[in-house]
Amino acid sequence: MKLAVFVSDFRNTVDTLDRLKPEKLGVILVGNGVYHAVIKENGAPSPVLKTPAAFYALSEDLETRGINTANVESNVKVISYGDIVDLIFNDYEKTAWL
Amino acid sequence: MGKLTIGCFSSLVGSMSLDFAVKLAGAALDKGHKVDFWVSGNGTMLSIKDQRSFKDYSSLEKPIKELIAKGLSITACEACAEARGYNKGITMEGFKRHSMDWYLASTFDADRVLHIGGE
Repeated sequence: MKLAVFVSDFRNTVDTLDRLKPEKLGVILVGNGVYHAVIKENGAPSPVLKTPAAFYALSEDLETRGINTANVESNVKVISYGDIVDLIFNDYEKTAWL
Repeated sequence: MGKLTIGCFSSLVGSMSLDFAVKLAGAALDKGHKVDFWVSGNGTMLSIKDQRSFKDYSSLEKPIKELIAKGLSITACEACAEARGYNKGITMEGFKRHSMDWYLASTFDADRVLHIGGE
């Protein structure tokens, strides 16, 4: 199964993500979840970004929080609402919301 | 083009999930997809008409009306709405009210489903 997981909060959801074993995993950071794309702890990126997955962050939610997209981790792709629609229909079969 | 069913239990007060869901519905409609939108629990506040719009406070009545005009099918859980005193007389025009069977049926023939739980 190809699964897209929306992470909407700035909590460590690593335990949940680690339990997911889809054929393909995409993590879409939205809302306060976009902080995972930029905030470092003790110099290291968010543990969420260590999950074996493709990462995306919603540009509008980054901008709303005053986050410059230039500061987003290199393994996170900044995307629009339209891009999310395309991911849902073209790249992933199922979705989950955390 | 496909059909996307979105279910959202979160209200606009205390959560931005409903705001996200409405914007996603708009993006999907703009790309030519069919969208069914279900609100349940506190999310049923979205169905109330004549909500006052404040500066710097998200308001969704206008975007919802625009999306309905574009073909959005949107339905509130009737029991959840009634339990909160949201009766049919104060429901926005074009906003349907049904039992949860409507949501279940919609998810069964949808190409994609996004379910957003409550806060």
